[in-house]
Amino acid sequence: MTHLEEPIKEVLILKNYIDGEWVDSKGNFHDIINPATGKIIAKAPSSSKKEVGEAISCAKNAFPEWRKTPPLARCRCLFRLKELLEENFEELSRVQTMEHGKTIDESRGETRRGIENVEVATAIPSLMMGENLEDIASGIDEYLIRQPLGIFTCIAPFNFPFMVPLWFTPYAVACGNCIIIKPSPRVPVSQVKLTELVDEAGFPPGVWNIIHGEADVATSLLESQDIKGVSFVGSTPVAKKIYQMCGQTGKRVIAQGGAKNFMVIMPDTDLDKTIPALMTSFFGNTGQRCLSGANAVCVGDDKFYKRFLDSFLSATSKIKIGYGLDETIQMGPLQSEEAKKRVLGYIEKGIQEGAKLLLDGRKPKIEGAYPANCFLGPAVFDNVTADMSIAKEEIFGPVACIMRAKSLDEAIGMIHKNPFGNAACIFTSSGASARKFQYEVECGNIGINIGIAAPMAFFPFSGMKESFFGILHGQGKEAVRFFTESKVVIGRWW
Amino acid sequence: MKLQTASQVINFALQLEENLFKLYENLAKSYPEKKDIFLSFARENKKNKTLIQRVYQEVVSDALETGFSFEGLDVDERFFQINLSQDDKLSSVLKKAQDIEKRIQNFYQEVALKSKSFLADVPGAFERIAKKKEERKQKINSLI
Repeated sequence: MTHLEEPIKEVLILKNYIDGEWVDSKGNFHDIINPATGKIIAKAPSSSKKEVGEAISCAKNAFPEWRKTPPLARCRCLFRLKELLEENFEELSRVQTMEHGKTIDESRGETRRGIENVEVATAIPSLMMGENLEDIASGIDEYLIRQPLGIFTCIAPFNFPFMVPLWFTPYAVACGNCIIIKPSPRVPVSQVKLTELVDEAGFPPGVWNIIHGEADVATSLLESQDIKGVSFVGSTPVAKKIYQMCGQTGKRVIAQGGAKNFMVIMPDTDLDKTIPALMTSFFGNTGQRCLSGANAVCVGDDKFYKRFLDSFLSATSKIKIGYGLDETIQMGPLQSEEAKKRVLGYIEKGIQEGAKLLLDGRKPKIEGAYPANCFLGPAVFDNVTADMSIAKEEIFGPVACIMRAKSLDEAIGMIHKNPFGNAACIFTSSGASARKFQYEVECGNIGINIGIAAPMAFFPFSGMKESFFGILHGQGKEAVRFFTESKVVIGRWW
Repeated sequence: MKLQTASQVINFALQLEENLFKLYENLAKSYPEKKDIFLSFARENKKNKTLIQRVYQEVVSDALETGFSFEGLDVDERFFQINLSQDDKLSSVLKKAQDIEKRIQNFYQEVALKSKSFLADVPGAFERIAKKKEERKQKINSLI
């Protein structure tokens, strides 16, 4: 089978999920369009301030009981959810492809990474345990307990509609908090499908809520005194604004921003193995991820540079573009026409600033009869210098900028000049180079012979500089710290 | 047919195992004297199918090279089909089965090699199945 069946057969009218019920919104509806086919797959509401208030109020009411629910009972809800996610694995993945455009392999990878977070959060009886020390003074003991805080909100991005909220939500509820998710208004269907399973898993009403809407819904959530913390993944300007707002209102915050990730290719690397990793890094998810490769820095002499460039261009020019439900496709469309327009703007800018466009993706060959609205082919720029916009700014599309450095030191210097610090990867067969890279580079996620340095669910998803605002990160033990207050008790008994 | 993505490769392998499962079930009906061994082959094909599906689904990651690692994997579907006629003698059928098992073994070995750098359990699973194919070839040989 080459073309997989679409799971969404008719236009879905999305509802909010508040207090364990699917509730019609009175707000205006907008279309959710499959970027590959151009067809409408759903209509999503823009919820009102009143509806946001209702969601907060219901979550607030649910919190005292949920908090008292033993961690083992809370994690059993997650075990049931995990089973339901496995049962619906394929449908969930295909929905992501339909609303986002990514290939089916990429969607399945996203589903798996989401489920892994649910799995890790099921260990909450161990993860949430405190610490204690006897006899801190004679006959006095001291111990630390972790307590949930109340209501958290998760403001989700469009590039990973299923997975990103799961970096936070399973930990939030496992710790005894209630959560309100605001999916991206561009791709809300995956979260609706997930929430249908949450409902089936038997979480008590009000613990897990979903409210659709645009920036005004996010603002209402951020302004609420009842919301104790916020997780956000998106662009740097918005991440910074949310960080500031949370500071003003005394909320905890994980705010992950944009990225401009460097891939450093050393002359001693195994190019045959490096190239597929770079293809995934630069063009996987159509370049729309915060861990994507953006700048390829080739270290070495002209001979190695030519060999690298030839291999890179040869592999890039073979990438098959089309609808991600066709299993042969290696790169899907961009998520929206606006996203495509933005990338096209950067390609124009790159040409104007003097970079050499070696591969022009502006008129791609699309497999199948699909409208070109959101499709772009991979673009490769050579002669890119650090001062060019395409080298400095986040493009968020399938554009590779090739740069050169004489040494690893020079390459690291280029990374440090860039304001972002999400990820950086090195391809080398030298342990010394790899160690120097991981030691010196100021980025939160480092890849060594890995093109996408995506941390597993039991490690924090890190980030530095303009890519991250906050202290604790999503996923694993850090998420448990984020979603709990550390209370210290010092006791003496006469 | 060129197989490029992990999804394609996995589906192709699942189809192969399904076809073999049906083949050995039919052979068990057609040649009752060898029913037990043919049914054991069919059962093994079913297990292989579960194993392939499971390792892929449990370790697939968008962060690894699922879309780009199978460059050059070109397969002809006809190469993996057995057409049996009513008049075929058991020895002739067994030779054909042995031949097809050999081809499938080669396919699995190549896939295992190409997926070595990603999806941790996938190459291991394909290597295990390729090894089982070797054992099966020997079993079939002993029947000829």
